[in-house]
Amino acid sequence: MDEIWSDPTVAEISLRTLAVSGLATVAALVVGVPLGYLLGRNRFRGQTFLFAAVNTGMGVPPVVIGLVVWLLLVRSGPFGALELIYTKTAMVLAQVLISAPIVVGFTAASIEALPPRLPDLLHVLGAGRLRRMWLIAREARLGLLAAVMAAFGGVVSEVGASMTVGGNLQGETRVLTTAIVTETSRGNIDRALGLGVILLTLTFTLNLGLTLIQQRRRKG
Amino acid sequence: MSLIIEGLRHARPNGFVLDVPALELPAGKVTALLGDNGAGKSTLLRAIAGLERPHSGTVRFDGAPLRTEALAFAFQERVFLQGTVRDNLDLALRIRRLPAAERAVRLAAAAAELGIAHLLDREAARLSGGEQQRVNLARTLALRAPLTLLDEPLASLDAEVRERLLAELPAVLRGFIRVAVVVAHDRREALGMAEHIVILRAGRVLAAGDKGALFARPPDVETARALGLVILARDQSCWAVPDHQLRLGRSDHAPVFELRVEQVLDLGTHAEVVGRCGGAIVTVRAAADAELPRPGATASIIAVHAVELPR
Repeated sequence: MDEIWSDPTVAEISLRTLAVSGLATVAALVVGVPLGYLLGRNRFRGQTFLFAAVNTGMGVPPVVIGLVVWLLLVRSGPFGALELIYTKTAMVLAQVLISAPIVVGFTAASIEALPPRLPDLLHVLGAGRLRRMWLIAREARLGLLAAVMAAFGGVVSEVGASMTVGGNLQGETRVLTTAIVTETSRGNIDRALGLGVILLTLTFTLNLGLTLIQQRRRKG
Repeated sequence: MSLIIEGLRHARPNGFVLDVPALELPAGKVTALLGDNGAGKSTLLRAIAGLERPHSGTVRFDGAPLRTEALAFAFQERVFLQGTVRDNLDLALRIRRLPAAERAVRLAAAAAELGIAHLLDREAARLSGGEQQRVNLARTLALRAPLTLLDEPLASLDAEVRERLLAELPAVLRGFIRVAVVVAHDRREALGMAEHIVILRAGRVLAAGDKGALFARPPDVETARALGLVILARDQSCWAVPDHQLRLGRSDHAPVFELRVEQVLDLGTHAEVVGRCGGAIVTVRAAADAELPRPGATASIIAVHAVELPR
């Protein structure tokens, strides 16, 4: 296992993994947090149906989403002309679709758990729209940071979609999970295990940082 | 100048309609909204604050549409942000863009008024219900808002604090308000704090006016009843009587009524005679050593002070 620490391709794969899944998570947050806020904050017809749809979305196997994205992006597909299939962009796209429902679901649940009168309070105190949103997000930060962790954890560890739409091309679209599959199939169990340890270390470090932010000032 | 509501109409999906064609709350006074549960007291308060979107109507304060900066509102539900009591009070003042020195002065003053100086560094969410209510009030009073709205300000407080605030809150409010509106389920609290009374019933204003004037001359039976007066009828006439003004006996100088006695309670220091007078259930206090009627008997009672109501 020792040689993987000095292998430059391992560092390259790790960085690519972080870049693809990090970008996908950020995009999922940009889309998912406002939607989750609307879903958790308001009462409207069809809300229960939407909640159920989001909760289902949280559990769709990544390989199924990968398949759908593949059908859309493959050369003969409706968006084939964009030539995105087997690129990092395709992987990001698939991972956004995997993680957005997670972000929406976690955000909606954390907004719903806030005191119902909180927005009214901020309104009568005179807080403007942006300040209200910021203060509400701060109140809901436990759930929002859980959303970040669950979304990133979900996409960094998935293999089905990345394999399907990324193609596991060496030096191009290979990420830690697809590399583990490759090494396992080649019988390089030591190397596969080593990559697994790297993946776990990366996600643990990130989650540790987010958990520290999440738990800050909870004591007292 | 004052708070003027015109043509306010707000319907809820559950069928409740708040309908206030015209209402003026006088400047320099504390107004209490009185009414049963579901009469629309809290809805009216929220509509004044702009938290309800009424179907029609305007609220004008000092001749202009109400600005949020002029407003402070203590909700019945005690809502706090994460953090200490100081954080919560300071945030309210920071949102109003007050400089740090002014914030410190306001915060200390409000903490002293509500007796919460020792709680400032405690987590707001972890306080007892009574402590939270005092923080809720302190946050509202610290804003020194010309229009201050208090929904059930004395709820959840222990008896000692409640009585102290009942005595002190009106004076504190008068120190800075143009208009203050208090909603209290408890009639004693509402009357104790306010000089001006608005009585609501099923979403409409039943009566509004100066407290003294309303008690001196209740316009009708419903208003008198809402003010807590006992309504007694005799010979086509109706009288409104404060219950402590009823005595057993007869008199040539005060209206006399017949009471069908149902229960007599000897409470040691005094006795209570409970019975029916017309349709009303009436409790009359009597000296413990007085000659008391028996249940089933008919007794005469006099209203030492009574107001005859217009028919």
